Amino acid sequence: MEELVSLRGIVKHFPGVLANDNVDFTLRRGEIHALLGENGAGKTTLMNILYGLYRPDSGEIYVKGRRVEISSPRDAIKLGVGMVHQNFKLIPSHTILENIILGLKEVGLIINYKKISEEIKKLAESYGWRINPDTYVWQLTAGEKQQVELLKLLYRDAHILIFDEPTSVLTPQECRILFQALRRMAKEGKGIIFITHKLDEVLAISDRVTVMRKGKVVITKETNKTDVSELAQYMVGRPVLFTIEKERSQPSGEAIIIKNLKAFNDKGVLALKGVDLVVMNNEIVGIIGVTGNGQQELVEVIAGLRKAVEGSLIIDGTNIVNSTPDKIIELGVAYIPPEPLRYSVAPNLTIIDNLFLKAYRYKPYSNGIMINWRKIHEKANELIKNFQIVSPSLSAKAKSLSGGNLQRLILARELSGLIGERIPRLIVAAYPTKGLDIGAAEFVHKTLIEYSRKGSGILFVSEDIEEALMISDRVAVMYDGRIISIFRPGEIDIEKIGLMMAGVEIASTS
Amino acid sequence: MTKTLKKPYTIKIGRRLHYSRKLSILTTFFALILAFGVAGVFFAIIGLNPLEVYSYIGGVFTSPILLLESLKRAIPIGLAALGLCVAFKMNFWNIGAEGQMYMGMFASTGVVLLHVYYGLFPDYLVLLLMILGAFFAGGLWCSLPAFLKAKMKVNEILTTLMMNYVAMYFVDFLVYGPWRDPKGYGFPLSIPFPDYSKLTIIFGEFAYGGLLLLCVTAVLVFIILRYSKLGFELRIVGESIDTARYAGINLSKVITLGGFIAGGIAGIGGLTIVSGIIGRLRPRASPGYGYTAIIVGLLSALNPWLILPVSIFFGGLFVAGDILQATLKIPGAAVEMYQALIFLFIVIGEFMKRYQITITRGGDS
Amino acid sequence: MSIQWIEQVLQLTVQMGTVYLLASLGEIYSERSGVLNLGLEGMMIMGAAMSFIFSVAYGHLSAIVMAAIIGALMGFILSILTVDMKLNQVLVGLALTLLGIGLSGFFTFPEIRKNLLLRLNPSLPENMLITQQAEKLQEVLIPLFSDIPILGKMFFSHNVFVYFSLILSVVMWFVLFKTRIGLTIRSVGENPSMADSLGVNVYMVRRVSTIISGVFASLAGAYFFIGFHPFWREGVTAGRGFIALALVILATWSPLRAILGAYLFGGVETFQYRLQLFGLGAQSPYFLAMLPYIITIITLIVISTESIKKKLGAPATLGTPYSREE
Repeated sequence: MEELVSLRGIVKHFPGVLANDNVDFTLRRGEIHALLGENGAGKTTLMNILYGLYRPDSGEIYVKGRRVEISSPRDAIKLGVGMVHQNFKLIPSHTILENIILGLKEVGLIINYKKISEEIKKLAESYGWRINPDTYVWQLTAGEKQQVELLKLLYRDAHILIFDEPTSVLTPQECRILFQALRRMAKEGKGIIFITHKLDEVLAISDRVTVMRKGKVVITKETNKTDVSELAQYMVGRPVLFTIEKERSQPSGEAIIIKNLKAFNDKGVLALKGVDLVVMNNEIVGIIGVTGNGQQELVEVIAGLRKAVEGSLIIDGTNIVNSTPDKIIELGVAYIPPEPLRYSVAPNLTIIDNLFLKAYRYKPYSNGIMINWRKIHEKANELIKNFQIVSPSLSAKAKSLSGGNLQRLILARELSGLIGERIPRLIVAAYPTKGLDIGAAEFVHKTLIEYSRKGSGILFVSEDIEEALMISDRVAVMYDGRIISIFRPGEIDIEKIGLMMAGVEIASTS
Repeated sequence: MTKTLKKPYTIKIGRRLHYSRKLSILTTFFALILAFGVAGVFFAIIGLNPLEVYSYIGGVFTSPILLLESLKRAIPIGLAALGLCVAFKMNFWNIGAEGQMYMGMFASTGVVLLHVYYGLFPDYLVLLLMILGAFFAGGLWCSLPAFLKAKMKVNEILTTLMMNYVAMYFVDFLVYGPWRDPKGYGFPLSIPFPDYSKLTIIFGEFAYGGLLLLCVTAVLVFIILRYSKLGFELRIVGESIDTARYAGINLSKVITLGGFIAGGIAGIGGLTIVSGIIGRLRPRASPGYGYTAIIVGLLSALNPWLILPVSIFFGGLFVAGDILQATLKIPGAAVEMYQALIFLFIVIGEFMKRYQITITRGGDS
Repeated sequence: MSIQWIEQVLQLTVQMGTVYLLASLGEIYSERSGVLNLGLEGMMIMGAAMSFIFSVAYGHLSAIVMAAIIGALMGFILSILTVDMKLNQVLVGLALTLLGIGLSGFFTFPEIRKNLLLRLNPSLPENMLITQQAEKLQEVLIPLFSDIPILGKMFFSHNVFVYFSLILSVVMWFVLFKTRIGLTIRSVGENPSMADSLGVNVYMVRRVSTIISGVFASLAGAYFFIGFHPFWREGVTAGRGFIALALVILATWSPLRAILGAYLFGGVETFQYRLQLFGLGAQSPYFLAMLPYIITIITLIVISTESIKKKLGAPATLGTPYSREE
């Protein structure tokens, strides 16, 4: 069996993390090879290297037996390698045909629309798709757009195809159509790499599967020689669990009741498909699950930054779903978004400005028109001490802070009760320790636990199962836009957790 | 086998992480020098001695009479620039200061006419009402594009620019038509403003009254931006709309209100032209002060205190242009050219601030 | 309101509209590739100034060539600053416009112009050195067609520029929508990173389209002077470059619709003068003059509504510099 692709000894560093640690990977002619792992396992990095978006620090790439350097997607496409990303690179206001032929010199000077349209139609049909190349891309569904992305590559004779979580935007029927097409492509001799975290898909479609964890390849196996639980084990591993001494909390009253929440994501796909969850006061509920199953959309709806199309959010007896952010802030909801420098912090404003980003409009920091900077300075000094924010001065710009300090700033702002002189009723934190070193992460954990003891209800989204099990009172697993299981740490063992995260349903407890 | 090509040097352009204030001042300084230089080249092409030209320009700032004249021109420029401070701080590209000034002129003239023909209010209130009217007219003129941007994301550069022309032709219409002075021999001029409606009533000389107005406005703008709730919200909106939404800010309200204030201040700038400099309304009363204000705002890095001296500098340039035209026979256009060069080099200076060019000897490709 | 009057009005409409048409055609290409050229006004007036000086010194051909060269130069400068140095397109464009207005006033000032003309062509007689006007381009009547009533005057009795602009519109429309080059240009403006990954040289496409917009803006200015109104006045283009920008939006970035828009604005302007002659009140011309701008604002609002935005909206990355992320 001819090897289409061979990656040997690939090493890739990013600041602070070893994304690929001496990875070997091969793709055979005519095979569908699944690449399985959690977030941060290194699978997307590896494929981005193959596609020319990144360059490896060391290692070799062989395509069809020849050693190659791939320094950009253009090189990759020339070699016959194509990648279908989760975010489509298409032009909505152009037709399917125009998107497909862009950049192709073979088309000649004047575009022969009829001829090319026929060619594209035939090509699509050979894979079981029915499309009209003259439709505009903005009119298409997510599944159809994905077909166009694929046709872009197939029209260029790509025979090594990489798919990055392709089914995340598809309906079940569209999935079936995609899998049929994949099988046909494999029969033609093309090689397909299929990045996924969903175990059932791996078993349904792949010939071989490679499992990665924390940058290393754990195992590569023929799919028909393994099963779900074995794969889950490889995927999640057997970590050593150390628990913080945590007293069982005595919940008293609901902080928030989420019922049947439904919402769309930015791509127009239904991301929340009916979420039900209750967070009590004095309680930390950790949400785990592979990123992209609706966690981000959930927290945004709660914070008032995204519209829900159905369902209710009840805080203190009122349904606050689809209220404006300022009303939700006033009700005592604190939101710590992921990636601090994206929008939860204004990088060019000062530390003081950022500390009072939300509280500036309330007494005693402003009287309705003017801001009382003196009071703000006083309080700011207090906050900096209590939250141990390290910086040369209060008027330094926020972008000069380190990641850990930035997170402390956000915690100080959200948690210390600047608004209404009370602690938040509900704290929503999304990946608050991502990218932080151990000391900084520990500070975040301690702070959250402290506030849960003081009475706040905390909803805490994490990619790291260990972290979630360590500090949560209850853990919820989110998959495909729903909470499929809630349990207390220790009630369910790690393998089953991995299975649930990968979509294999298990009856939940409590 | 990978090939290595040895180049004599490699040029790498990378993004700078942050730049010091010193670098800022240095690049501004170099921008001015370069503008001087290139303009000098143009002067030399047509056979003039650049140094002679510059001595005339410098002379404007050393002669008290001419300095006063520069101050007069600086007032509408500075007011418009202060308005732009507010607008640009929230990332609202207000190219419409010119039109907002014209609307200010319209409103103040309207108040004067109402008073003279209908005697609706006592003499001593007229100036005050003119100021209020000019502020409202300019404010409304700017708040429309602002509202359109806030609600529908309509590009404000083009809307404000278009509204400049509408305002200009509107004033043309008034002054060639219903508001033409019947005793003006058919010229397109409004009636001359009575004394109590001119800014000369303060300190007896427009330059001083206007300067007072300018300083007061600068203080107000400073207070608004630094100490008011709105100013804080404007700065957050200018930073990022997502951050503003996250902070719970009502975007429509803030952007529209900010636009209103920016346009209002520019409107008052228009008032100073008809009430202070000219003494009546006429077509094309502003020789592009609204556009000069953009350059002034940028050069001052949107700092209200720097706007005062920079406006005086540009006012002086206009005065110098008049003198050069009379003595050395250089067209007034030379001043525009010079302003444009300063503008261009300041913008290029931004590049130096944002990026870092490193040239190293040797290197592989 | 005789036939003659109608014919005259229509003829003038087309002649006036050609200025807008030429300038907007170039701008359509640059905006389609993602570059907003706010320097149109400056380039237009520089073209007019160049054509003035060179048509007096040498003649029409050199006037047109020099105008094109200066337009290309200014377009090139714009491209370096906005595409390579990724500076803010609005500010750079404004600066170039102010520069163009200043320089044009500078070089056409009587004393300076006299100097220049003498240096270019020492054999010029005195009256040419001080004249404010130049020789107008001859009209070329197309035989037979120009005799058709109304339409004949409207379309077939103009100078070469007008015919050129009409043919150009059709050609540019065809290139933009039916050829590979046009598809590339449009894609660069919509999604440059996609184009880049498929092998398109985004920087070069933007550079070329920006130079094109400079050349056409400048030619529009040259046409305005030697082909329509050969009397020089300072600031003679009076904001027509900005109207051309508005026209591009009104035409929703299509060369064929630009013809309609250009003649619409040309017609409005023509009526301004006609009505004044008729003594239909001095008021009307000013409201008519406002019309192009108001129409533009309304167009801007309409195309910002979600439903229209998808089909007819601005190129997605208009105004945003492109840089390849690691």
